[in-house]
Amino acid sequence: MRQPQFIRSNTFRWAFMVAGVLAIFVTVLFGFIYWNIDDYLTARSDRVITVELDGIAGLSPERRLEAIDERQRQDPRGVQLAAIFAADGHRMTGNIESLPPNLLIDAPAQGVDVVRTDRKGREHQNVRAIARRMRNGDVLVLGRDVDEAMEISHVVGEALLLGLLPAFLLCLLAGAWLSVRAQRRVEDVNQRVQRIIAGDLRERLPHRNVDEPFSRLAAIVNGMLDEMEAMIHALAGVGNDIAHDLRTPLTRARLALERGRTNAATLEQLQAVADKAIAGIDQSLTIITALLRLAEIENSRRSAGFGCVALHEMVQEVCDIYEPIAENKEIALNVQVTHQLTVRGDRDLLIEAVANLVDNAIKFTPEGGKVDIELLRGDSETIVRVTDTGCGIREQERDAVLRRFYRSDKIRNAPGVGLGLSLVAAIVKLHGFRLAISPGPGCRVEIICPDRVDGVKELARLAKGRPAS
Amino acid sequence: MALVPGKRTVPARPRSSIANDFAAVENQLMTKVLLIEDDSETAEEITAELADRGFEVEWSANGIEGLDKARSSQPDAMIVDRLLPGMDGLTIIEALRKDQVRTPVLVLSALAAVDDRVRGLRMGGDDYLTKPFAIVELVARVEALLRRPAETRETTLRVGPLELDLIERTARRGDRVIDLLPREFRLLEYMMQRSDQLLTRAMLLEEVWNYKFVPATNLVDVHMGRLRHKVDGPDDAPMIHNVRGAGFILRAAS
Repeated sequence: MRQPQFIRSNTFRWAFMVAGVLAIFVTVLFGFIYWNIDDYLTARSDRVITVELDGIAGLSPERRLEAIDERQRQDPRGVQLAAIFAADGHRMTGNIESLPPNLLIDAPAQGVDVVRTDRKGREHQNVRAIARRMRNGDVLVLGRDVDEAMEISHVVGEALLLGLLPAFLLCLLAGAWLSVRAQRRVEDVNQRVQRIIAGDLRERLPHRNVDEPFSRLAAIVNGMLDEMEAMIHALAGVGNDIAHDLRTPLTRARLALERGRTNAATLEQLQAVADKAIAGIDQSLTIITALLRLAEIENSRRSAGFGCVALHEMVQEVCDIYEPIAENKEIALNVQVTHQLTVRGDRDLLIEAVANLVDNAIKFTPEGGKVDIELLRGDSETIVRVTDTGCGIREQERDAVLRRFYRSDKIRNAPGVGLGLSLVAAIVKLHGFRLAISPGPGCRVEIICPDRVDGVKELARLAKGRPAS
Repeated sequence: MALVPGKRTVPARPRSSIANDFAAVENQLMTKVLLIEDDSETAEEITAELADRGFEVEWSANGIEGLDKARSSQPDAMIVDRLLPGMDGLTIIEALRKDQVRTPVLVLSALAAVDDRVRGLRMGGDDYLTKPFAIVELVARVEALLRRPAETRETTLRVGPLELDLIERTARRGDRVIDLLPREFRLLEYMMQRSDQLLTRAMLLEEVWNYKFVPATNLVDVHMGRLRHKVDGPDDAPMIHNVRGAGFILRAAS
């Protein structure tokens, strides 16, 4: 036998538990009220019979008998008990059959079992009773049946039945409903997710515009799906670009080999063919290496390995490396460093980024031009700026140049694989810096490194600490 | 005639003699190299090339056997692939280093990430080469491992007529004083410590400029062109040679 699914669900179990706890709590509360009322009623009837007993005991023996009879006559409900027993134990008057054996005489009122006997017949009862021995040896017994307590317990029971049971059932129903509803939504989400897994990237999770956890969760997941859809489309585009850019040199290599195989007659010709083929393959490998490197940087979580990088030294170093290349092209390569500035980052990657920018700048600047590397201090940010006097980047191309394999038509013929700026962009992003491209004399690319907040705090702390020390 | 950087090559000679350029010493000694590589075609090519250059090559296709051989046959150098059946290449190196075996190891790997490289070197590898590689690159690196410059207290390096004073930071060729920029001095120092060895562009980038990536421009050639212009005067016999498609050698002019 299978339980319905909603019973197994967590929501329902919680509802069941809450209902159970509520029931226990209410029962305890009712019990407490019942016992208190019962105590109060007993104490009151004890007081009443004690006072009556005192009254009757003060009378003469004959008057006592009359008073007892009188008392029974005035008790239509039949809750009053009274009797006088002679010293030898036989009943002189009253409606108690015999002196109860365990009734303590001359003691306060107590609960005791008696047999009541009157015109209606004979009946065992548990009552509150008090007994006192008179001066002539008679025993006077007064009692009262506290039947209100029974009535109250009835009321309590009925209240429990009428109130608690429906509440408990309501709890269970609500739990079941919530559970079924949640399950339906999960099932709905599941079906849509299955469709997404199957490849329908435009599918989204259902959500209503209410501030409700489930809807908010759906909205969050939808946001993620939007991002992923965009990424997958971009990736597909990149895949095409990669295929194209890899095919070109491979095709060249293949053609060279094919033609060489038929046409080469001498060893020299064959070597020339092999060299051509190797060059083609090497270019493909360069592209693959650059792509892997890009992926490595983009997926990197290596910020833990960051250290302090002295940018002024780094910029100088890059200039040092590229100076001879610039000189060969008769390009004036200058470094302007106004401050000694450091940032937190990966030194090797930052050198790679700046070197790439300088490399590009030199490549795209015609002979006799100028390339400047500047290290500046902006408004709570540090800027590495590379300016050239080359052909520049057109406004509409500024985003595109950061894309993989993008090569402006103007530079179609320049060597390179078109991944340099993507690499720079990836490195910059990994560091939480910004890349800005603007027109200078030719082109101006800036790596903007905003100050880290805790870094500023650190400086403030040091500045404060100084006068004290 | 002006020297065009990166264009001058060793005069065309048959291939075997290029090999002799930087394998001369080993030829006589029969240096033993242990190759642990699971791809048999790659292993065949490497073995053939190294054998051509006068090495005795022992090949092992899996990690466990390789480790046994490394322990029993005491090679002079080892080439170890990272991903091997039976045992990771790095585990082999770690095991050897634990046994105090100091044989120089070149790690081969298809894993190109910088982190992998760092890990490979930290685990006791002496050099790291990413697949695919040019065979000359591999040979040059094995040679470099075998002929690592000894720790020396010499403050002057000498190769033929070339003299480098490490304290005064001066260089001279015979009587001629060579005026070097700091970066050129560093490059020449590195080359003189490894004279007669083929130094590939990647090796120079890694060791002299501490570059962890290959730049787009032919940086090394330009720097080398400048250095050569200064070292080899118009009337001198050339000392810095460009080995086509491979790298550079500094050799005493004969």
